[in-house]
This record gives sequence, C-alpha cells and structure tokens, in this order.
Amino acid sequence: MKEAFTMWRHTQMVVLVALSAAIYAAVLIPFKGFAIIPGFTEIRPANVFPFVFGLLFGPAGAWGAAIGNLIGDFFGTLGIGSIFGFVGNFFLGFIPYKMWGAFFRRGENMEPTVNTGKKLAVYIAISILASAVCADWIAWFNDLIGFVPFAALGSIITVNNAVAGIVLGPILLLVLYPRVKRWGLLWTEIMRPDEVSAARFQTLGNLLMWVGGIGALVVGLAIGLGIYDQGFAAAGFAPTAGGAGGAAIGLALLPFLALIVVASFLLGGREQVEAAEEEAGAPRVR
Amino acid sequence: MEQTIQPAIRIRDLSYRYRGQETLALDGVDLEVAEGEFVVVMGPSGAGKSTLCASLNGLIPHFFRGRMEGEVEVRGRSTRDGKVGEFAREVGLVFQDFEAQLFSTNVALEVAFGPENFQVEREEMVRRVESVLGRVRLEGFEGRQPATLSGGQKQRLAIASVLAIEPRILCLDEPTTDLDPLGKLGVFEIAEELRNRDDVTLIVVEHETEETLEADRIVILREGKIIADRPAREVLRDVDLLEESRIMPLQVTRFFRQMGLWEAQLPLTPAEGIVEFKRRGWRIDPERHRELVAADEAREGRYGEPLIEVEGLTHRYPNGVVALEGVDMTVRRGEFLAVLGQNGSGKTTLVKHFNGLLKPSGGTVRVEGEETTRQGIRRLGQTVGYVFQNPDHQIFSDTVFDEVAFGPKIRGMQESDINERVSEALAAVGLSGYEKEDPFGLTKGERQRVAVASVLAVRPEVLILDEPTTGLDYAEQRSMMDLVKRLNESGSTIIAVTHTMWVVAEYAHRAAVIKDGRMILSGTVREVFAKEEILRDASLRPPHIVSMGNSLGSTVLTVEELIRVTEPGPKGEVE
Amino acid sequence: MDPFLYLDRDTFVHRLDPRTKMLLLVGAFVLTFLFVNPLYQLVVFAVVIVFGAIARSLVNLKRIWFILVMVGLMTVILWSIFASGETPLFWFVEREAVLYGVAIALRIDITIIAGMIFLSTTRNEEIATGLVRIGIPYRFAFAISTALRLVPTIAATGSTIGQAQRSRGLDLESGNLIQRIRKNTPLLIPVFVSTIRSTNVFSMALESKGFGASPERTYFLQLSMGRRDALVLLMFAVLLAAALALRFAGYGGLEGFSR
Repeated sequence: MKEAFTMWRHTQMVVLVALSAAIYAAVLIPFKGFAIIPGFTEIRPANVFPFVFGLLFGPAGAWGAAIGNLIGDFFGTLGIGSIFGFVGNFFLGFIPYKMWGAFFRRGENMEPTVNTGKKLAVYIAISILASAVCADWIAWFNDLIGFVPFAALGSIITVNNAVAGIVLGPILLLVLYPRVKRWGLLWTEIMRPDEVSAARFQTLGNLLMWVGGIGALVVGLAIGLGIYDQGFAAAGFAPTAGGAGGAAIGLALLPFLALIVVASFLLGGREQVEAAEEEAGAPRVR
Repeated sequence: MEQTIQPAIRIRDLSYRYRGQETLALDGVDLEVAEGEFVVVMGPSGAGKSTLCASLNGLIPHFFRGRMEGEVEVRGRSTRDGKVGEFAREVGLVFQDFEAQLFSTNVALEVAFGPENFQVEREEMVRRVESVLGRVRLEGFEGRQPATLSGGQKQRLAIASVLAIEPRILCLDEPTTDLDPLGKLGVFEIAEELRNRDDVTLIVVEHETEETLEADRIVILREGKIIADRPAREVLRDVDLLEESRIMPLQVTRFFRQMGLWEAQLPLTPAEGIVEFKRRGWRIDPERHRELVAADEAREGRYGEPLIEVEGLTHRYPNGVVALEGVDMTVRRGEFLAVLGQNGSGKTTLVKHFNGLLKPSGGTVRVEGEETTRQGIRRLGQTVGYVFQNPDHQIFSDTVFDEVAFGPKIRGMQESDINERVSEALAAVGLSGYEKEDPFGLTKGERQRVAVASVLAVRPEVLILDEPTTGLDYAEQRSMMDLVKRLNESGSTIIAVTHTMWVVAEYAHRAAVIKDGRMILSGTVREVFAKEEILRDASLRPPHIVSMGNSLGSTVLTVEELIRVTEPGPKGEVE
Repeated sequence: MDPFLYLDRDTFVHRLDPRTKMLLLVGAFVLTFLFVNPLYQLVVFAVVIVFGAIARSLVNLKRIWFILVMVGLMTVILWSIFASGETPLFWFVEREAVLYGVAIALRIDITIIAGMIFLSTTRNEEIATGLVRIGIPYRFAFAISTALRLVPTIAATGSTIGQAQRSRGLDLESGNLIQRIRKNTPLLIPVFVSTIRSTNVFSMALESKGFGASPERTYFLQLSMGRRDALVLLMFAVLLAAALALRFAGYGGLEGFSR
C-alpha cells in the first residue's frame, strides 16, 4: 500500500495518473448511452483500461482508474454513489499489479504481459478477482445507502468488468507492454524498491484477497437472493432475519471487506521493482 | 582572474546514453555559449538535438535513467549539483510539442504556473503575467482556454509561460514545426526582441534553414557529435556541409553555388541574390521560361476525366461556425494538387468532404460522378484514400504486415489477394522486408510510410495526404515526397494539404489557396506562386527561390528551373 | 462540442466560493438521505430545483434528462421486485415497496441534479483550488484538474482516430457484443499510444517549470469566503436542522416497508 502514497513524489507518476484518468473517462463517456442498469452501469469496453493501467503503471494506474471513473461521473451522474465508484475503481487498478508478483517465484520472468500461458492464466484469474472486489465495494455501498440491491449490481459489475478485461485486455497488453517499456514508463522502472511495500506476507495476502473478494460477492448475492425464501437468513447469516436486509448485507459483508483491506497491506510489489532493476543492470542516477 | 567572463553555458566532453539504447545520443560534445548569444542547433532526426536541450537544465542526468559523462555548467554551476527545479530558474526550456506542455485551463493561469512553483508573491505574479503576455503579444487573452488558441498562439503561450520564470537563458526546441509561415514569423520576431531588449541568451533548435539567418552561430549535430560550430553566415554558405548533414541549404545560396560562385561570395537571401544577379549582368531568357510554362500547359492537357467535383460547397460546424463557403473546384485523374492556407483556414475541412468524413451543409461533392452523401465512407474509402497527419492516430497492429493488411482484410478479401496487396503497397513505399517489424519501433518517417501503405493497400484512385512532411527532417521529407511523386506518376491522383512551401513548389502540379473558408486562388503552382501579394494576404510565403524569380519578373519553382532559364552575362566568368 | 457541464454565467451561485458549494453539495446529500417518504423527497427535490433555477443551470437538465428518467424507472422496478411491504398491489408486488422505490428514485436523481448544479456553476480550476484549500494534497488535485482538462482533448483525438479507422473501412456497428467490443481495439490502442507517449515530454515540461522545486507553492487564483458565503451556509444549516428535527420527530418515514 505504501507505494500508493510514495508514488506522488515522481512527476512521471503524477502525469500518468492524470493521463490514465483522462483516457479512461474519455472512453467511458461515449458509452454512457449503452446502459445495463441505466445510471449505474453501462456496457463498458473502457473497463479494460484499469487492468492494463494497473499492470503497467502500478499505483498510478490505480489512482488513474479511480479518478477517471469519478470524472466519467462528472459528465452526468455525479452523486453520492460516486464515492464508492472511486473506491471500487481504485481496487480495479490496484489488485492487478499488487497480486501479479504473488504468482511468480523470485528470478522468474515477471514482466506484466500475457506472452506465456501461465501469465495469461494469471491475468484472467486476477481480472476476475479485481472485478469482484470492485463490485463488492460499489454494490455494498449502494445497497447500504438503499440505492440498488446488492444482488442486482454486484453480479453485473463483476461480469461487465471481467468481460471487458478478458476480451480486450490480452490484446491491448501484448501490443502496449513492449512500447510502454521502451518509453521507460513502467511503474517498476520509475519507482525505487524502497518506496514499495515489501512482500513479506505475500502468500497470506494473496489468500486473504481471494477469500475477501470472492467471499463478499458470494455471501452478498446469497443474502440478497435469499430474501425471498429466508433460508439463508434462517441459517444465521443475516443478523436480523427478514426485517432489515440492507443492514444484513451491510454487516455480513464487513468482515470480507476488512479482509480485502488487510490483504492490501500484506501484499508486496517490491520484488517486481527489484526484478526490473536487475534486468536493467545499473541503478538509476537519482 | 580565472573567471573574468563567465559563459552562460559550458559543456565539456558530454556523452549520454539512454537506458536500454546501444548507441550514444550525445558523443563527446564540447560547446560554449556566451551571455547574450543567439545559437542555432541543426541536424537530422536522431542527431541528439533534443538530448542536448534536456541537458541544459539538468533533465539529463536527473530525469532520465541513463549514463552521462562529462560536465554541463550553467553560469558556472554543474547540473549534477542540483535539482531540475533549481536550474529551471536559469534556463527556460520550451519543447517541440507545444500541446504537451500547456496544462492549465486559461492563459493567465498557464503563465502563472511557473512562478507559483517558485513561490512568487501574488502581486509580483500579476505583474509578470501582464508583462510577459505583452511581450508575446497575447494581451487580452488572459481568460481564454489554451486549447482554443491557434498553433502560433499556443507556441507563443508556451514561451510566455517559461519567460514568466524570468530565466536568463532560453532554449527553444524546434519552436516552429507545425506552424504556418505567419506563425513562424511571430515566434522569431519574439525571439529577436528578447535578445535585443532583454539580453536573453538564446539557443534554438531549428530545421528550416530560412529561419536561421539572424543567428550568431550555427552548431550542426550529427550522430551525437558536433561537426560544425561556426558563424551562421559561414555555415549557411557551406552548401556541401549542409547537404551532407541532411539539412536543406538556402535555395538562393545553392543557386549561385551551382552557377559557379565561390563560397565567400555567396548571397543568402532573395534580396541579396537579386543584387548579385543584377550586378553580374545576368538575365532570364524569356524563351526558356516560356518552355517551362508550355510544359505546365501540356501537363494540364494530359489529365483524365474529373474524379472529384465540388460545387458551391458550404460547411457549417454544429456550433454554427462556417468553415467553408461557396467552394467550387474540380480534381481530374492524374493531378497532383496542393491545398494551401494558414492554420484554421478550412483546408482540412475541405478535403474531409472528399472521402465522406464530413457532409456538406450546402452544395454538393461528387466523386466519380456520384454524390458522396449517397456513397458512405466505406465505399468512398475504396476510391479516395486518406492518410491522416499523425500516423499514430491509426497504427494499432503488432506488425507492419497486419497494419497494412487491415484495410483489405476488413473488406473481406481473400488471403492470397491480401498478401499480394500488402507486398505491393510496401514495395511502393519502400518498406519491402519490413513485414514483421513492429510499427511502433520505426522512426516517424517510416511510420508515416506505413500509414501511406495501409491506405494504398486498398488501391484507391485518389490519395489525400494531410501534412505529409510535418515532423520529418529534410532527407525524410524528400524521400516521402519522392514516394508521393512516384505514386502520382504511376497513376494515382494526389491531393496534399500542406504548409511546407518548397514541397509545393517542387512537387505539386496545381495549388488551391483557402482563406477563411473561401478559395481565393487556384491554378498551376506557377500561376499561384506568381501572386505573392495575395499569398501574403493568406499568411503564406513562397520559397526564397520563387520570390527571387518573381522579383526578376519570371516565376520559377526550383533552383534547377532558375539555373535553366538564367543567361549568365559577360561579368559572370570574370571573377 | 464542449462535453463539460460548466455554464459561464454571472449568478449569485456562480460567485460563491467553491468550498461553499462543496459544502452545499454534501448538505444536499444529507438532506435527501433523511427521508424515505416520497412526499418528503418531493420537497427536497423542489428545493434543489429552485436552487438550480437561481443558478440558471437547469438548461443542463436537457443533457441528462434521459439518464434521470432511466435511473428513476429502473430503481422503482428493482425495488418493487426486491423489497416487500404489507399492502399487496398486484402479483407479488406490494404498495410500500413501490413507494420506497419512488423515494429512492427521487433520492438518486436529487444527488445527480445537485452534482449537475455544482458542475454547472464551478470551473475546473476552482474545483482544483477548492480541493487544495480543503486540505487535499496539491499533486493529487493537480492530477484531477489535469485529467479534467485533458478529457476533451482525448475525446477529440479519439474522434480523429475514429475517422481514420472508418475511412480505412472499420465498421463498429455490426456484430454481437463480444465482436463489437473487440472491434474497439483499433480505436483503443491509438488513443492509448498517442496519449501515453506524451508522458515524458509532459513531465519534463512540468519539471522545467519548477514543478516540485519546493514543497510549498503560492497560488495565482485567490479564494475568499465572503459574507455571501456565510449567509448561504447559515440559511442552509437552518434548513438542515429543521429537516433533522422533523425526521427525529418521526416524520418522513415509510410504514410497513421491509427489505
């Protein structure tokens, strides 16, 4: 998590936040018309960008996704829901680069692209997880404040993000990764190892992120749909059965969301920067 | 005693290698620039000019990861010993790409940005904003959005925003690329004034020789090394050196050089040329000039049937601005037409009607006899190919082959046909063998060619090129235009939108001049360039050699034409 | 076309300090969250609309009315299905659930309209400066304001790229969902490449103008909270207090509703 704050020291990272955000917003806006749940979510090919930005620009991509989504809201749908749209989209860019390192051994090539079968598999898995975590935050908040039921929003956001990410992401990454690398704009090339969280609890963080991300989605959907037959509530999942479903989802998901936050602090990232440094040979002048 | 006169810039044995690059961007550069001097840096693409600029305020070594050797001192202080921010106070750097260096939402804020970072008091900031905008002639623009300014205004704003920091040294990296002739003039007038009035040291990277006449010294870079560092007029007379360095020599100088004058005698400007021409008692042979005109006329007669017919074309943008009004024109098969006009005159709007990207608000545009509105972009794309100004706006594939094959593929052609078309198109642009290359790894000139090839692969009858030479060095411009000329000779009809005047003079057959949405002049290039007054009114300036010919009473288009029609007098051989 | 909502007018609301407007925006959110009764929401709705009229910003409703209507309809439908009440209306839908849906629809539309009024009356640079003044770090605010400024530029680049690819024969309109998403690659890659390519020049230009030269900086744009701001905030505080009192007294709820 450290790098999400230290990155602001680097002018290039600040610029990358702005440019990523602007691209994301600019591509989001023309698709505002193709709504799935109008006003809440649309068909979003632009949603491939948070994954790609995250993998290539690291924390700058995560902030870029968050700000880009907020600016997208500026063009018509700025409201209270925008707050967790910000949080959700941050995670959409944050999880890909954060989780990436956890799947590779030290010394193994961990360049963030999809040129091998393993990397493609990791990319797809991470895309699904990031989509779920993004959906967790947005749907949880919208349910909590009573805007949209969790079950309606949670599944749609997950699928929508994952489809754009899985269909377009690999194509984009294959074409863009070598260029971004050539321009020296990969986050692992701009940042220094000591500015990035160490990977001490990498595996634990990886595990917790999956439990938190997928768990929140599954439990949220189950409670949301279970309201009809009360079965789930009777099983003791919802604190106050029947009456207040909103509070039920709001509370039942809290432990999972907490896991997501904890995992965010446990995951590393430094190993990727070090790998890039080793590959480049000489350490930088500055 | 040792530092009686401190130079503004002292560079000693500077070498620089970008990370991941094999070759040195700069290789043992030694350079001194005195306070108040005006130095122009020239050289082909990739010579290290921008790297040199970036080393002046410490961006090299601090910003890029790479290896620097040697020393750069700014007024006695090594750039290794401080942050970029500290040197930014001394050296103002204006970059080539002015779009990328304007950050603010209005002009005043843009100018105040630098002073804000240096914690200048607000009252002082207000004073500086006012004074600096006055100096670049943007008074009254304070509240305008930078995006709504013209190219020339944007460039002047970029200069103003750096001047507000009040640096003693100003470095401009290709400040006039992409500007129309009037915009260029504005930038150089400001540079002159800064130097004369405020005694600012000026270092300007420039590739257009005509703009370097006022400099004290010219430094020529090639492959990271300085190969010449001499007084400007001396370098400009060294035609061979310039040509070897892939820099376009002054036309007037080249003319006299080829007429056999010694280097020291060579005139540089049209005015000097005319004096010399007359002093030597040379004259223009009217008979040979008539032959040139006759050749033009013969070519006019050889064109085929009309391909594009424009009648009373008017275009109004959704915001109500009238971009074109009452334009009539006809383009026949085999023509090579140049569309001229200053930035924002409507020339691009005009040609976008030819392939259906824009629809007329009034009047008609017919391609091969049928109105464009009935054909649709997809079908028109088969007849009229459009190469956009910036190749990066269309390249998206992994390999050159895929990029060029995109058009034929999307039109559902057979694989064998596609292969044939791609090889044919790549051969035409001189990129055979590049099929597997990564288009993003090519130079700007090569990417431009890929873009042309990808349009050629659909085998259009007409090829529209929007500013095909922008951002290319002289040699690249030449090879690009030679390519276009070959395409034209093998049957393509060419329409080029450009403000590089020598390109028009040497390559185009016909020209149309657009001003404020109206066509004010059209005809053969010779006819159009003869009317210098009207051109000036449209902010255009013909090339030096054309001006000189006009003053001598006969319009010629190239140095070679002037040589052909010149009758050397008796005094010519004496000296 | 200018995609921004900002309207360059000289009204009482335009002249307010951006921080005041940010507070009002948050206040409007709080106000609309107090009530679940559609009648009370209608009152809040009316307050916001009147405020928008004073700001002469309602013309922007033309640009977002479709979103507002769709959000409203979908919300009513969703809650009619997912929530329950006591009084059956038809099939499995109960009256309270529908009423709740209507209230929520109004609530969402109110927050969107309040956001619209804020954006219609506040310039991008005022938002950025306002953010800095309420304690947001400068570099973060800089990234937001730069992104805001770049959106129209990138949209214009995007439309040029669209033209370029269409004139090469790209047809975005046909095919199924996955195919149509895939057809966006010839657009997305050049948008990305031509924008990201400028990162280094942009960063160099920033540093060359002293970006980050010292930790503190001064500001050209002055913000000052005046008497006008105090007056408006006071009036709004009274309104909010009254609403709170009303809610705690038990008004504005919805009887017999459950989720």
